[in-house]
Amino acid sequence: MVTYVVRRLITAALILLGASFLVYNLTALSGDPLEEFRASNLPNAAALMQARTQLLDLNTPAPIRYFKWLGGAAGCVVGQCDLGKTLAGQPVTQALGQALVQTLTLVTGATILAILVGVALGIVTALRQYSALDYGVTFMAFLFFSLPIFWIAVLLKEYGAIGFNNFLAHPDIPIPAALGIGIIAGVIAGVVAGGALRRKAIVGAIAFAFVTLVLVVASLTQWFRYPGLGLGVILIAGVGLAFGITVLAAGLQNRRALYAGLTTVVIGAAVYFPIQPLLDLATPLMIVILAVVTIAVGVAAGYFWGGYDRGQGMRVGGITAFVVAAMILLDRFMQSWPAYFDNGKIRGRPIATIGAATPNLQGDFWLSGIDAFTHLILPTIALVLISLASYTRYTRSSMLEVMNMDYIRTARAKGVSERSVVMRHAFRNALIPIATIVALDIGALIGGAVITETVFSVRGMGFMFLDGISHVDPNPVMGVFVCVAITALFFNLVADLIYSALDPRVRVK
Amino acid sequence: MRFGRISKVVGVAAAAVLALSACATQGGGSSSSSSSAAATKQGGSATVVEVNAFNTFNSNTADGNTDINSKISLATHWGFYYVDNQLKVVHNEKFGHYEKTSDNPLTVKYTLNDGVKWSDGTPVTAYDIALSWAASSSYFDDQDSKAKTGTAYFSTAGDPTGLNNTKFPDVSSDGKTFTLTYTKPYADWETAIGSNNGTIDIPAHVVAKKAGLADAKALYDLMKGMKKGDPSSPQPANETLKKAADFYNTGFDTKTLPTDTSLFLSNGPYVVKDMVADQSMTLVRNKDFTWGPTPNLDQIVVRYIGSSPAQIQALKNGEADIIAPQASSDTIQQLKAIQGVTVDQGHQLAYDHIDLNFYGVFADKDVRTAFMLTVPRQDIVDKIIKQMDPNAKPLDSQIFVPDQAPYADSVKNNGSADYQQVNIDKAKQLLNGKTPEIRIMYNKDNPNRVDAYTLIAANATKAGFKIVDGGLGKSDWGKALGKGGYDATIFGWINPGVGVQGVPQIFKTGNGSNFNKFSDPSADQLMDQLIQTTDQSKQVDLEKQIDQKIWASSYGLPLFQSVGVDAYSDRVTGVKYMPNNSGVWWNFWEWAAK
Repeated sequence: MVTYVVRRLITAALILLGASFLVYNLTALSGDPLEEFRASNLPNAAALMQARTQLLDLNTPAPIRYFKWLGGAAGCVVGQCDLGKTLAGQPVTQALGQALVQTLTLVTGATILAILVGVALGIVTALRQYSALDYGVTFMAFLFFSLPIFWIAVLLKEYGAIGFNNFLAHPDIPIPAALGIGIIAGVIAGVVAGGALRRKAIVGAIAFAFVTLVLVVASLTQWFRYPGLGLGVILIAGVGLAFGITVLAAGLQNRRALYAGLTTVVIGAAVYFPIQPLLDLATPLMIVILAVVTIAVGVAAGYFWGGYDRGQGMRVGGITAFVVAAMILLDRFMQSWPAYFDNGKIRGRPIATIGAATPNLQGDFWLSGIDAFTHLILPTIALVLISLASYTRYTRSSMLEVMNMDYIRTARAKGVSERSVVMRHAFRNALIPIATIVALDIGALIGGAVITETVFSVRGMGFMFLDGISHVDPNPVMGVFVCVAITALFFNLVADLIYSALDPRVRVK
Repeated sequence: MRFGRISKVVGVAAAAVLALSACATQGGGSSSSSSSAAATKQGGSATVVEVNAFNTFNSNTADGNTDINSKISLATHWGFYYVDNQLKVVHNEKFGHYEKTSDNPLTVKYTLNDGVKWSDGTPVTAYDIALSWAASSSYFDDQDSKAKTGTAYFSTAGDPTGLNNTKFPDVSSDGKTFTLTYTKPYADWETAIGSNNGTIDIPAHVVAKKAGLADAKALYDLMKGMKKGDPSSPQPANETLKKAADFYNTGFDTKTLPTDTSLFLSNGPYVVKDMVADQSMTLVRNKDFTWGPTPNLDQIVVRYIGSSPAQIQALKNGEADIIAPQASSDTIQQLKAIQGVTVDQGHQLAYDHIDLNFYGVFADKDVRTAFMLTVPRQDIVDKIIKQMDPNAKPLDSQIFVPDQAPYADSVKNNGSADYQQVNIDKAKQLLNGKTPEIRIMYNKDNPNRVDAYTLIAANATKAGFKIVDGGLGKSDWGKALGKGGYDATIFGWINPGVGVQGVPQIFKTGNGSNFNKFSDPSADQLMDQLIQTTDQSKQVDLEKQIDQKIWASSYGLPLFQSVGVDAYSDRVTGVKYMPNNSGVWWNFWEWAAK
């Protein structure tokens, strides 16, 4: 194992050296760094050209300049990084730090969401292979996958931000619009429901009626201006979720697990009012602590209900508690929405098209939380939409493969419930190849959101890379390259190690 | 036992509540909306979009001289003059007074008014002007970059020639008066001091302290004790001045608000309040500012958005109030379609032109004239510019642009009238049956240049020219300039807007940007006279004569000016188009929120 890791690390270092040599020279030879001064009619154009030549050390041939750069970069090993300076005179290490933060803000949420949604869709479509749902999801996934992101992003900005903000100014939903959205929701629900045509029709009709009604009520109560869930919705949704989570994690026949879930819903409802004054003073740290406490309470509820499979009860309790707490949190965010909406910096147009935060917005945890949400929602949707396809398709095929394995048939034959077959025997094993893909994707994401960054005006790693290329300035390009390459190589290694840890059949040598 | 357990639970719960409230914020959660509502009532705020991100408080250095840095420097500093959107120099008499006190030798006296001060309370003194002079004159530099000897002290983005030919300036004992004596007459003396739009933007007392000196006067005294640098006899570097210069060159670089407030002192209408790296910057009113027009807005927020479509959508979504995207017909159409937005169009100082080499096949003046007669300038404007600006006309002067007052007058007499219409017949007559082969060089990665080339080539062929496409790629055409290998070239230049120093750079025999080897002794003489003429009306006369000489020698043709566009929402007023690179910022104090 250790020899394997060492061997991989040595190979990685060699790959990095070779690749960096290539990238440096390709960048340095990609154009004329003095281009902007060549045709200049400034009286001091020659002096400026000389200053630039000196700054970029252009009198040294590129391959030799690479070794100078490498000398500085090698200092990173002993903690004295010198990756050179950008054209503006900023040290590349410092610029990288700033760019990395911007990029991570942009891609972290999107990556997690894409994985969660993608894997879930993959599982569902695999279980309903060749159904209308399967075809529908596949169609949509490939549609989004093949759309250019700059186009999706511009459309999202036009309708998701500008259009939605216009709507928020007068949040009335006309009846025909409510009916239209209701019909769409009904059709989707019908397709998702599966089963006989009659069942599909009933589910569809219920969804249609429910969604239409909700929209009409939301319009009448100006819900989009003054949103909130309230204790009632949290309670009803909580009970529903408790049942749902029990079905997935334990099976309804495990009554004690269900009771554990329901108990946490009741506890959540009970603390809803007492917790509000504390939430008014919230800080990020407090929310984290509260989340830990909540899960602990849920797990404790499962523990005390006990039963033949205590672990299942604890799991149901913990997950339910987390979800209920999340709803309370969401409700609290919604309570701050009117204050955010009417804020002088927001001026009634909350959904943003650029940047990561509203400048000079001074607000508490809730306001700044909403602000981050309104800025990140559009880029996140854009990134999720285009990366859904790979996760969905990989999970689907992996799940299908596993479901056709002999041991699944064996499990079924010995009378294991379908829930256990899917959740315990199939799902976990289907995730093994996904782990590899996820690890590799993380490496690619850091440098891969170039277009999204440009459209949403985030000066992250991609922007730095492009800017360096367009000025024929190898230093920032190399900075980004080294970062991305190291992450990619590292996660490649991690992926292989995880694989062997997850799958006992694979052993590293 | 039972009681014990409950008390334990109560104890744990109490500890938990304590712990949670310890990490809570101070005060209630409902105080947020009231404070911001109050802020909008006084004077209001506006959000301006800039393409590039701010990175240094010293925009005078070669590295720091980007448009955004200069604009922030302009908004937070004040000086003896500014340039208005008619490209005229306007004196700021409330800041100080400057005048030419002698013509021989040229002597300019700058007097600062009382009460003008930096935002840390230190008065603005003549020593600040002395630092500005020292930095932009390269006076002390004795570096010889070929021999690798000597020292370069202050980095400057500007042309040091004018200020370099001066004596060491005098400062009066009260530190209010700065007298500069030129050893060579300098035509652009009026805009010589204060680099970015005339602002005095670097506090000498801060630079002095960072170099270990007591105050601004100590820095001045140190410089006074030094000799003018001479690259042919380099001296050992003065360590203290080198330290001061190094700080000047890089010490003001930052993307986040420095904790050391002396790095961003203001002496202008606004002070920097907040900076978010690569995202935004906030300027607020400088309460002390009384030596100039009081700005209307309490706050200006600058946001950096690189792509033009993103700027337009930000304006449409109300996140930005003033934008200046790159002009294209798409951009202008989209902007005009937005309700509640005013679109301001104008010329930029950049213009495209076709130059004919004064050697090779074009050595014969008749051939040059014949070629010029075939250039369809109106068609080029129609094809490239009309869709953006329906009123666009070809540019008719080699020296002036229409935004400058002398343009109209110069155009009447400079001989451009002969080239208003394509005249193939006359061109054929001049060619007299010859069919010269012309290689035209241009940047073939620039669609506008390709269009211009195509139209020019088609028309020239009609007159009998054999046109060879000498288009080169984006990174090659610039290197090929002036190297020969072509006969005509289409590219762009930027009119300086103010000052005459740029004229000989392009048109004088043997100068750096004279790529086509144009040489006219009488024009050279006029240019020698021009850069030594300190009287503006005489300068204009000379420029008009030079314009005429250039046209008369069949130099080539100016084609069109680039189009610029600003757009601002109805929430703000007072925004006016400006052709030079200050852009909308030139009158920022007149902006107001509705």
